[in-house]
Amino acid sequence: MRRDLRIFAVLSIGLLMAGCATTPVQPWERGRLAGWDMRWDSDPMQAAANEHAHFSKEGTSGEIGAAGGGCGCN
Amino acid sequence: MRFEFSTMGCPCALHVEACDDATAQRAYAATLAEVDRLDRKYSHYRADSLLSELQNKVGAPIAVDDETANLLDFAAELHRQSDGLFDITAGKLTRLWDAQNHRVPSQKEIDAALRVTGWHRVEWQRPNFRVTTAGMRLDFGGLVKEYAADRCAQACRDAGVTSGVVDLGGDLALIGPHEDGEPWIVGIKAPRAEGKASARIELPRGGLATSGDYERALIVDGKRYSHIVDPRSGYPIESFASVSVVAETCLVAGAASTLAMLSGVERGKSWLHELGLPHLCIDADGERSGDIAI
Amino acid sequence: MSVNRRPSSSLTLLLAASAALTGQKAHADETTSAPTIGYRFNVYDEDAFSGATVIGSPQRYHVDTQQLDFSSGVGDRNTLNVNAVHEVMSGSSPWYEIPGPNNKPIQVLSGATIRDHRNAIDASLTHDAGGNSTTTIDASYSTERDYHATAIGAEHTLPLNAALTLGFGGSLSHDIVAPTDALIFDRITHAEKNTLSAFGSLSWVMNKASVIESGIQINYQSGYLSDPYKLATVGDVQLPDTRPDRRTEVAWLVRYRYAVNADAALHLDSRVAANSWGQKSFTVEAAWYQSLSGGWQLVPGVRYYTQDSARFYAPFFVAEDAGDFYSSDYRLGGFGSLSANINLRKQFGRWEFTVGAERYHASASYALGGGDVFNPGAVSYTRIFAGLDYHFD
Repeated sequence: MRRDLRIFAVLSIGLLMAGCATTPVQPWERGRLAGWDMRWDSDPMQAAANEHAHFSKEGTSGEIGAAGGGCGCN
Repeated sequence: MRFEFSTMGCPCALHVEACDDATAQRAYAATLAEVDRLDRKYSHYRADSLLSELQNKVGAPIAVDDETANLLDFAAELHRQSDGLFDITAGKLTRLWDAQNHRVPSQKEIDAALRVTGWHRVEWQRPNFRVTTAGMRLDFGGLVKEYAADRCAQACRDAGVTSGVVDLGGDLALIGPHEDGEPWIVGIKAPRAEGKASARIELPRGGLATSGDYERALIVDGKRYSHIVDPRSGYPIESFASVSVVAETCLVAGAASTLAMLSGVERGKSWLHELGLPHLCIDADGERSGDIAI
Repeated sequence: MSVNRRPSSSLTLLLAASAALTGQKAHADETTSAPTIGYRFNVYDEDAFSGATVIGSPQRYHVDTQQLDFSSGVGDRNTLNVNAVHEVMSGSSPWYEIPGPNNKPIQVLSGATIRDHRNAIDASLTHDAGGNSTTTIDASYSTERDYHATAIGAEHTLPLNAALTLGFGGSLSHDIVAPTDALIFDRITHAEKNTLSAFGSLSWVMNKASVIESGIQINYQSGYLSDPYKLATVGDVQLPDTRPDRRTEVAWLVRYRYAVNADAALHLDSRVAANSWGQKSFTVEAAWYQSLSGGWQLVPGVRYYTQDSARFYAPFFVAEDAGDFYSSDYRLGGFGSLSANINLRKQFGRWEFTVGAERYHASASYALGGGDVFNPGAVSYTRIFAGLDYHFD
């Protein structure tokens, strides 16, 4: 696990540096990025239902965000 | 209070409410100053305008200011979104089909105009603009008047006006709703019926822009040729008589109504529906469609 | 969990392109002030167990879920979201396993049909802190006959520069387990579990057509973490599922969105996770977002998942080998799963309609590098869903 965390740290710093180094995308160029199909979750309600099904049937879970509340799902 | 004036070749008006004389005068002065500034910059009737400079300096790149750069970026995006129908380099073509010519241009004239038309004939790499062919005519119509309306509305707000409408030849920008919060009721001119309003709508936000051929269409031998020309074929597009759109800003409303006109009746209707903005279309037979609240 | 308003992509593009000129926000509000209501119905149905590997009624789990979501701007800078869930669960569940011929595990299912329902509510408030940063607080409560969970959380997003945004937050959950029929089946009558979670994420707008985000989530659980309804066969007897009273989990996620052209986008999501019980997992998902004419949208997708078994997992235990902890819950075993899903959506004026399905199949043989232990509990299921959203503006 420690080795994975180190890889993660290196890649995150890389991401950070890359984000600082490249030419930023101007606001008027961001139109395409705001489209429904470029969101992290284009349907948050359904994404939650999908994650819930997988979480109930698998031994590991985790999404970008805090874990929130549990349930007795079996 | 209502101030009437004329700019960019059309009758304009500034309506303000719920403010004292001094504020109203300040707002009017600011409005006049702003439209004058933009007219000087982007009019193609003035030899000393920035627009004239841009189109006449063939081959040499010109570094433009932020405002012009933003307009060019917007025009480039509209060109892309409309698959080339919206083209600010089509000035020569639109002039050919101008109503004041009173005649249909010949194929030779159209071909000659096509040779100096096309967004691919200019190079736009912010902040440098370069025209590669001599004889091109840039035309910011469909952009500048609507942009000016928004700017004037903001200038009025900055001057302290909280309720009013800026009307630049039918392109409207809201300064603020009536004192009691009610939206302004504005009229959309009827195509081909001088002076009559064909629809009265509420303007709750932003701006209203209307694209239409009714005032500027060429009529020869009883046949009507729209002044909306397809920059790829050189011929006018058979389209609506007018399209009015309400949006957050007059600029976006204007872009939407222009793109709808350029798309023709069928595609224009479905595009407007998909766009989701309140709109009113009146086609050549006077048939209305759209979901604007009348 | 908020229902995003979905402005048409043409409008979004126009607004974004004109933003510099008009000084307006570059895209139609995602957290719009106009209220939105959403409803989703999910039907989850597990495949029945097959044949000789089962004792007990082979019907597995079936869950009908209804979700109602309400989202609205509150004042200028806040958005409120309230989400309610009602689930009805029925069917039988894996109980324990016994060695069969050739030591192949046989699954014994709980004979009695479970019929339970779960109600949950979740409320969150997002505050626009200015400069494109946001703060969100949320609280949730979930209740069913034998399980009650209360949670609170907070998170913050902060742009670091024009391209990078930092996100971080945490949550705390307090769960109470009170198994049914506790006395009859000699189960614990009452237990508690606490979960502390924290996350950090970094998103990067790479260029006009792509965005990528990387995040890490760490959870720490303590309390009663076993499953009160499951038993493990140790030697000749069945003992209650017994797991350690704490567990740490770490997950590292990367998600990537790429606009292929004006009408299509590719989504790639991956996750690497590990926990202190010895499980490691890897997940990868891909989905294709296609806009079709007429306002239709089609989204097919696939997902692959693989996990290792926990240190104290086995289908059944030889008495001498069992340590302090033992569990036969298939979710602690090694297996892999493949699932395919599809979603169709359409906007009609202020309404949006969605319908879709997922087909999921787990098996020990799908696991990466391992999974040679036949796991009769590995589940296959079909899920079908449909929903409606309505925007008030």
